[in-house]
Amino acid sequence: MTVTPHKQLPDVDRPPGAEPAPRGRRERTTPPWWFALPAMLLFAFVVLVPSVRGVYYAFTDWDGLSPDFSFVGLDNFSEMFRDEDARQAVWHTLLIAVSITVVQNAVGLLLALGVNSAIKSRNVLRVFLFAPAVITPIVTAYLWRNLLGPDGAVNSLLGAVGLKGLQQDWLGDPDLALWSVVGVIVWQFAGYSMVIFLAGLQSVPKEVHEAASMDGAGPVRRFWSVTRPLLAPALTINLMLSIIGGIKLFDQVFALTGGGPGHATDTISTLIYKDAFTLGEFGYSIALAVVLTIIVAVVSTGQYLALSRNERASS
Amino acid sequence: MKADNTRPTLTHRGTFPEGGIMKTRTLPVLIAAATSVAVLAACSGGTNAGSDSPGGGGGGSQTLTLASQDQGSIEDVVKAFEKANPGVKVKYTVSGADQYQPQIRTQLASGTAPDVMSVWPGNGNPAATYVLAKPGYLRDLSDQPWVNKLPASVKSLTEYDGKSYTALFGLNGIGAVYNQEALTKAGLTPPDTWTQLLDFCKAAKAKGTPAFALGNQDNWVTQLVLYSLVATTVYGDDPDFDKQMQAGQATFAKSPWTTALDKYLTMEKTGCFQKNPLGTSYEASQTLAATGKTLGIVQGNWVIALLKEKNPKGTFTLKALPATDDPAKTLIPAAAGAGYAVNAKAKNPELALKFVNFVMSPEGMNTFVKKQGSLPTLSDTGLAADPSLAELTKFIGSDRTVPFMDQLWPNPKVQATMLSGLQEIFSGQSTPGKLLDEMDAEYKSGN
Repeated sequence: MTVTPHKQLPDVDRPPGAEPAPRGRRERTTPPWWFALPAMLLFAFVVLVPSVRGVYYAFTDWDGLSPDFSFVGLDNFSEMFRDEDARQAVWHTLLIAVSITVVQNAVGLLLALGVNSAIKSRNVLRVFLFAPAVITPIVTAYLWRNLLGPDGAVNSLLGAVGLKGLQQDWLGDPDLALWSVVGVIVWQFAGYSMVIFLAGLQSVPKEVHEAASMDGAGPVRRFWSVTRPLLAPALTINLMLSIIGGIKLFDQVFALTGGGPGHATDTISTLIYKDAFTLGEFGYSIALAVVLTIIVAVVSTGQYLALSRNERASS
Repeated sequence: MKADNTRPTLTHRGTFPEGGIMKTRTLPVLIAAATSVAVLAACSGGTNAGSDSPGGGGGGSQTLTLASQDQGSIEDVVKAFEKANPGVKVKYTVSGADQYQPQIRTQLASGTAPDVMSVWPGNGNPAATYVLAKPGYLRDLSDQPWVNKLPASVKSLTEYDGKSYTALFGLNGIGAVYNQEALTKAGLTPPDTWTQLLDFCKAAKAKGTPAFALGNQDNWVTQLVLYSLVATTVYGDDPDFDKQMQAGQATFAKSPWTTALDKYLTMEKTGCFQKNPLGTSYEASQTLAATGKTLGIVQGNWVIALLKEKNPKGTFTLKALPATDDPAKTLIPAAAGAGYAVNAKAKNPELALKFVNFVMSPEGMNTFVKKQGSLPTLSDTGLAADPSLAELTKFIGSDRTVPFMDQLWPNPKVQATMLSGLQEIFSGQSTPGKLLDEMDAEYKSGN
């Protein structure tokens, strides 16, 4: 890697047209596969091998402590179907993942369109809207836990503006807690989606827009026929990241509600943590983690294939 | 976690202009694969994690390694120990119980645990004496001089299979902790009987300051009122209830546990607690009681130090929470808190024993209990009793205490079920009958 810049310099300095070097250029664009080897080895050693070794414990009754354990076959996996907490957690996980994906991206896109317009304070707004995404999730979760308390800022604000009827026990009401969690996450990461959409929006050439307006297209028509297809790659990335993030969700839920009240906001990840570290059921917990991995892999691959087909169709 | 998997896109952004679609194809798949695999990696760390443990300092014979969960008090004890033993260096780590328990289990399983570690009495939690002694991780301390001086009820909690493993130094009790100023302002006095308690709640509510703060959002808090009521209603008439449970002759569902749960809910209906206990955290409940927005809080004695932190001018006293109309029958749940045990494979066993014996000496024990606001397990430490704990001292002295219920349960699942079940009852998702049946099922599932 350090060698290339030195070699490149004479190439760049050469006046255009004089002695082009097509061969050298070509070699640089497609490096030999073994260049990736060191990185792949490191990845295999740090991530793949320990993970695969970890999977083995999904078929045991290991308690995370004693040196002896026995092989129990698929017992841990069949237990999942009997375990009501696990079924609930899967349902909550899907609800969270889908709603975050939809709401966060819708809000992110609207924000991006807003700050991409010619309004005066757009640079300040961009910074403010993106700021929450820079804060550690656990910190925002603790902040919101206080804001959403029965005597917290949110209820006080509602009371102050005469909306006492809308005051809620945001995190203590089992029908509401899950949506409060979704709300906090959207608040934090909508700005993140916004930045990615904004990057996409700014890559849309001005001339195309100008041409479209000359042809008589209004703002809605221009968005739909010009901006939207060109935003497809940004959308693919955003949907992918939010759905994977949503399925794996752990820290915000853990800090906001601890999975409660009862199990009302338990996700697969919080259940994995509780089973392993409070109950000492490592085998079962790892089996849950294996299932989570499979869900993430299947959903993200499926979504990716669908979206990339879409991308190709619209470009 | 979210931030981790979203970060790569920032650098990736550059590929959007000029049809860099080829590159965008593979990267998301890699991100997906890498992030999902990372979940597994995090869970497989059981046998090979813990490389940053404090166990590395085995070189110097005068270095002791220690892992503790006594935040805020172990620091002083270590200082005193080092002062009493010149040339000795203690390398220690401190963490809250939630982090400490998985940490010490991982270290023990991977052979990287320190010489001395915090261990809880009895059974029923992931780092309890019974749980860690059973696979042989702890050193037998039965021959140490303090073992036979411990009160019988405490000594039994240091044991697994007839041998003592844990140096238990402090006793804690659960009861109603009252804010004296708030009581005076409301013109009320602490109740001694169940009927008085309900009247007290009604009067307090009428004055706009509910009787007790309840922080049920943190699920461990849900058990405290119940334990206080169970102590009297279950163990008052039947001190051997646990032996019957162990022998399979009794169940939660067909015992006065139903009465206790019923009384808990009666308290809630009578307005003994502030509004929305499930949305109120432990932290928020302390603020309510410390600032007089409620007259008190049902908690362990450890909360007194925290209340004083929030309101340094306040006076707080712990009283028993009555559950029947006969005050003479009232019992307090009281038990030893976490103590210290010696690693069976300690690198420096002599020094480890020295430390544990220091903890059990008057100097070490008094340093600990004064900082923690608890009571010493040995009676001869010469410590002047804290006036706010006078009632607890009296109850312990006259043997009117019951261990925390979970300390004698066969596995941590019974308690976990109870904690989330109580939250479910408070939010109308479950019923007392259903909860006790579930607890019975977990109890019978054994270890």
